[in-house]
Amino acid sequence: MNDALVEARQLTLRYGSKVAVDDVSFSIPKGRVVGLLGHNGAGKTTLMKAMVGLCGGAGSLQVLGMDPRRQRVPLLQHVCYIPDVAVLPRWARVGELITLMSGLHPAFSAERARTLLKRTSVRLSDKVKTLSKGMVVQAHLALVAAIDARLMILDEPTLGLDVISRKAFYEMLIDEWCDGERSVVISTHQVEEIETLVSDVMMLNEGRLALSISLEDIDKRFVALGHDATVAADMAAAHPLLRYRVQGGSAALFDGEPPASVQALGRRIRPSLVDLFIALTRAPEAERTQF
Amino acid sequence: MQTWDLQLPIYQQLADLLAAGLLDGDPAEGEPMPSVRSLAGQYLLNPLTVNRALQALGDEGLLETRRGLGMYVRPGARQRLRDLERDRFLNDEWPRLRQRLRRLGLGPRDLNWEDVQ
Repeated sequence: MNDALVEARQLTLRYGSKVAVDDVSFSIPKGRVVGLLGHNGAGKTTLMKAMVGLCGGAGSLQVLGMDPRRQRVPLLQHVCYIPDVAVLPRWARVGELITLMSGLHPAFSAERARTLLKRTSVRLSDKVKTLSKGMVVQAHLALVAAIDARLMILDEPTLGLDVISRKAFYEMLIDEWCDGERSVVISTHQVEEIETLVSDVMMLNEGRLALSISLEDIDKRFVALGHDATVAADMAAAHPLLRYRVQGGSAALFDGEPPASVQALGRRIRPSLVDLFIALTRAPEAERTQF
Repeated sequence: MQTWDLQLPIYQQLADLLAAGLLDGDPAEGEPMPSVRSLAGQYLLNPLTVNRALQALGDEGLLETRRGLGMYVRPGARQRLRDLERDRFLNDEWPRLRQRLRRLGLGPRDLNWEDVQ
């Protein structure tokens, strides 16, 4: 047995008649923060659902060494999940939700939930319907983070939140969840914001895994060269993955070392996750309009 | 939120930020550094990135690990940082500056060595 928390081998998932996730293989070790990136309809939600046994498919998927479809109940004692359609009952008070969770989940700690809620402006006596969207999401995170689990799955948790609420959410996630042992998979469209937060990224493009890599390896594998407009033609001729604008000029992104002739024309800059995401989830450079 | 530029790896940028703090005596020599978790929360960084930054400062002789207690600012860290900065100036910045001064035909006498009010 290896100690991967999630292990997928040639996993294919269908959503109705449509193939939502197409032949993906990956593994998630412990202590990681994995950003799951993809455009709408790329298969993120389906993949997350499969990890908690909500949909099945072909190939193999193991979560904490278990088959999510067949061993859903024991699995969910060690996995917590906020789906993209999550809602807390509007009529309930936060304190009542803690009582409810204590009765529902064996690994839930009411004391821990109350401690986590102290970080927020949510009070136990508050009714869900009186809370702002940002406060509801924080309360929800406090509730699931109070489960002593090994894996947390968050499907677009910060969608529709303002910047302050998003920051508070991520702060609680890092502070209270990431301990080097537990892992979290988080899907989002706000690629810039999670760039510094994640340890790994998985990019889905129309159901296929376009990239699965640690942030450290991104810096080793991809090279971005900042350059002046005067050498733009030479850069384009070297077939970069993407050309884009940066402060003070242009940049070209290469998968691997660019030709030496081109390297001399630019200076190395840090390849950003957003640019990588755009490069790998769009049509190749040749098929696009030049800017 | 803290913004990071595109020039250097993020762990390096955090290391520079923390080093600037050390030069100002924050935290002072012999004092503990904030924990990885609190730095991660404060700067919204992955704890692995924070670890790498602290490691880099440790490698430069600025921090030391005390078993079971975490990272502490080493005695003499500020002097060491100043030395490192001086080396960096003399070896990296000065040759470039000298080249530029020569190109502009500027000598020591053309430069104002007094503090500008």
